[in-house]
Amino acid sequence: MSTINIGPLRYLEEPSQISIGQNGEGLRSFYQVTAPRDIAAMCKGRPAEELPRILTILSPSHHIASAKALDNLFGIRIPPAAENIRKALGETLTLIHHARKLLFLLQSSTNPPGTRENLRIAVPSSQRRTVDEIMKGIAAFQEAAYILGGRYPHPVTVVAGGVSRPIKEVHKRRLQEIARTCLPYALRLRDIFSETVIGNGWYKPINISFRPVASITSGETENEVVATDKTGAEAARFAPEKVLDTLEILSEPWTYLPFVHEKGKTWEGPLSDKTEGLFFVGPLARLNRATPLAAPPAEAERQRMIGCLGAPPHFSPLAGYWSILVELIASAEKCETLYSEENLSGTETRVVATGSGRRGLAAFEAPEGFVCHRYEVDQRGLVEDVTILDAASENNGLRSFLTQKIAEEAFAAGQPWDQAKKTIELSLVPF
Amino acid sequence: MNPFEPRIITFLCNWCSYVAADAAGVSRLSQKTNTRAVRVFCSGMVDPNYVIKAFAQGADGVLVAGCHPGDCHYIAGNIKALRRSFLLRKLLEELGVDEKRFRLEWIAASEPHKYAKVVNEMSEQIRALGPFSPGCVRD
Amino acid sequence: MEAKKVAVYAATGCRACENAILDISFQVNSLDRFARFEFWPYLLGSRLEDLEKPGDIDVTFFTGAISTECDEEAARRLREKSKILVAFGACAAFGGLPGLVNLQQAKKAPEGCEDGTPELPGLRRRVATLHQIVPVDYFVPGCSPPQNYTWTIMQSLVCQSGAAARMSFAASRLPRRIARSVLSGVLPPSGSVFAGEKAVCASCGRMKQEKLFASLNRIHRIEPDPLRCLLEQGLLCQGLATREGCGGLCTGAGLPCRGCFGKAQDIYDAGAKMVSAVSSTFDTTEAAEMQKIAEAFVDLAGTFYRYTAPAQCALLQTPESKRPADEDFEAAGGACNG
Ligand code: SF4
Ligand code: SF4
Ligand code: SF4
Ligand code: FES
Repeated sequence: MSTINIGPLRYLEEPSQISIGQNGEGLRSFYQVTAPRDIAAMCKGRPAEELPRILTILSPSHHIASAKALDNLFGIRIPPAAENIRKALGETLTLIHHARKLLFLLQSSTNPPGTRENLRIAVPSSQRRTVDEIMKGIAAFQEAAYILGGRYPHPVTVVAGGVSRPIKEVHKRRLQEIARTCLPYALRLRDIFSETVIGNGWYKPINISFRPVASITSGETENEVVATDKTGAEAARFAPEKVLDTLEILSEPWTYLPFVHEKGKTWEGPLSDKTEGLFFVGPLARLNRATPLAAPPAEAERQRMIGCLGAPPHFSPLAGYWSILVELIASAEKCETLYSEENLSGTETRVVATGSGRRGLAAFEAPEGFVCHRYEVDQRGLVEDVTILDAASENNGLRSFLTQKIAEEAFAAGQPWDQAKKTIELSLVPF
Repeated sequence: MNPFEPRIITFLCNWCSYVAADAAGVSRLSQKTNTRAVRVFCSGMVDPNYVIKAFAQGADGVLVAGCHPGDCHYIAGNIKALRRSFLLRKLLEELGVDEKRFRLEWIAASEPHKYAKVVNEMSEQIRALGPFSPGCVRD
Repeated sequence: MEAKKVAVYAATGCRACENAILDISFQVNSLDRFARFEFWPYLLGSRLEDLEKPGDIDVTFFTGAISTECDEEAARRLREKSKILVAFGACAAFGGLPGLVNLQQAKKAPEGCEDGTPELPGLRRRVATLHQIVPVDYFVPGCSPPQNYTWTIMQSLVCQSGAAARMSFAASRLPRRIARSVLSGVLPPSGSVFAGEKAVCASCGRMKQEKLFASLNRIHRIEPDPLRCLLEQGLLCQGLATREGCGGLCTGAGLPCRGCFGKAQDIYDAGAKMVSAVSSTFDTTEAAEMQKIAEAFVDLAGTFYRYTAPAQCALLQTPESKRPADEDFEAAGGACNG
């Protein structure tokens, strides 16, 4: 059996590569994450209240998820002002996360603007302006994240019981300035997307339909988790406490990123047809639930997507990017309200913990997908055990089989691996 | 196999403990020869950095000895040393240094026997523990 | 002026350090005149083998801690290839959050793979920092480094006196010693740290009142006074042992510093410094009382060396004399009796 290795893959949060083995019968590809992330070892023995600052290493939204698990651990209901700041920070992180993914799509070299191969390149100035425009938006949102989170990309302000401090006057004014730019920015991105990705046909390489997959998202309130089956229909609804009874984490010796699958359903690895326990999370999973969006421009874009791709559920990287765009517009609209004076003027941002529990748990719909934290602590408040579901491990199965599909097709078509690699990269980014 | 001879760094206050150690030597009290003495003006000036440095550079044990409370030549240097010893011991333990390897003792000039006893005790205990190897922590 | 060839590499950490560089290079269009990114797995898909091509790299920004054999090899190759090697971010400079793993008993590497499945880069027994593997020219601390220093080092090393106005902007952010060389267009002294020299307390806006430490507080149990020093309110704030540069970001937001800039200049061991500073303010002369106050403290090592265990915790370093001659330093933990 001969093995080739294509990697490292661009644009992914996790340093990763693809190994492809070929023998007589066919081809087997492995999506390998090559950098370890021993979260449990970093967290065990730490005081529980420190976890929000440590777990941001997974992504800034884990900062919020972690504080929520602590609220639950200490049995605190946080004040409305804190809820507002947390929401504003969460939406800001969505803006940054989503804009960055669209940026990667627009600058990648399978697409014309990506002639920016070298980052230095003489690209036609109009395209270059486009990329710079996106970056400017990201910079403004980062500033908002600095204000709301106290630090970026590893925020600090979200703590057990709320948020560590209210927002200052001068910062509120700045946030309102940024708020005014959010929606126009999102709409501009929408125009770029429809002009270039759709209009110019750059969507073609990522318009890869894959077989339907189940998904997990938060319900309408945070106290519910919804499991959707492959047809997009709701299959189960349960409390966050049940998540870790429903899902199982599994390690493989050939990748540092674990797999997560549904318990009680068959799991014969991510590639097998017999595997029923596969699911995914993230923007597309959320949009596949086919709930109309409150914000008119976002709903209009969702309708446009349905007009183009048909009724949900969708299963393709293109649909993945498109849902990122739809959500970006929705978030931009929300930020206009979330950054407003009324929303951020509360000064009671914290409730001090009086109790001390032994177990804390929270489920959170992060920009990158549904995440869940569970901590077990001893009587001194030191962490004994942590279990964390993050979007990357939850989507690990999907990434693996998407990789296999693209590799098989490229092989059958006699495509050079170089090109297949680019397709794989772009296809994995939205998941 | 070579018998293990623990290396113990002793920080001895000039006014009491050093005198005691000296006297212990002069009167030929039987004592282990595993110590390397560092004479300091007062136990209060033995910064936690010194202790950590001693371990980091290969000591198997550290003894800080000063005057009895109330007798410190600089009034309360030894209380300062005492204050620091609790957190220091805690930090050392977390980093894999057994509590028997670090001791703070009050030894007056008139107590050479106590000095010999402490040093002998420590040597025995550390001999039982084996050499200290920085760079690894306990579970 | 010819554009400098720049490389960026991520070992074990997160992407935030790389994103910081990405954000700078896009936000500031003119950087393009000075820098040509030659090697960058995250954005260009570069492979280590690409480094076999002839020609040097001018500046390499290395992010992340060294925790696998692959990280180690990348460090060696990039060192060989680069005129200037920068440890960028807390992970590369001191081990960062991934370095917390070193506070636990070393783990065994995962067992070998079954037939037909590909291999993973092997795990080292201990997480190391870049400087423990190869010589490093400059350090940029912070998790992640704040944009002003990222921008500053870019200008100092990449633009190198290319634009006078930029240079004076950059210099205004640096300690005088480094600033002088930046301004005169020469490279700063090797080993320079692109951050302040004093401790975070020097730029923290909170007031100290020389209050004594009556008992330890934990952040979820108190709402600290917004103006007063956090340490004096019983929170373990590490600002006094940490290098200045962030301007007191965390303390400004109401949270104690955790030392992501590494220890301040002239401090031997941050943990020892903190032990001494905290306990000297215990408000008692009674041993039993002291004992009681001390008992409330938890996880000193994980707090004082939160971002620095592999590089700056003196007790986790193995001295030469005790190091088995022919083994890697990491292996010395083997025969340990506590
Ligand atoms: S220093 Fe911080 S931001 Fe940089 S790679 Fe490490 S964890 Fe990420
Ligand atoms: S100890 Fe912390 S809060 Fe106090 S002045 Fe220093 S940095 Fe600020
Ligand atoms: S206050 Fe401390 S932990 Fe926070 S950014 Fe500054 S150096 Fe890092
Ligand atoms: S002088 Fe002996 S302890 Fe202070």
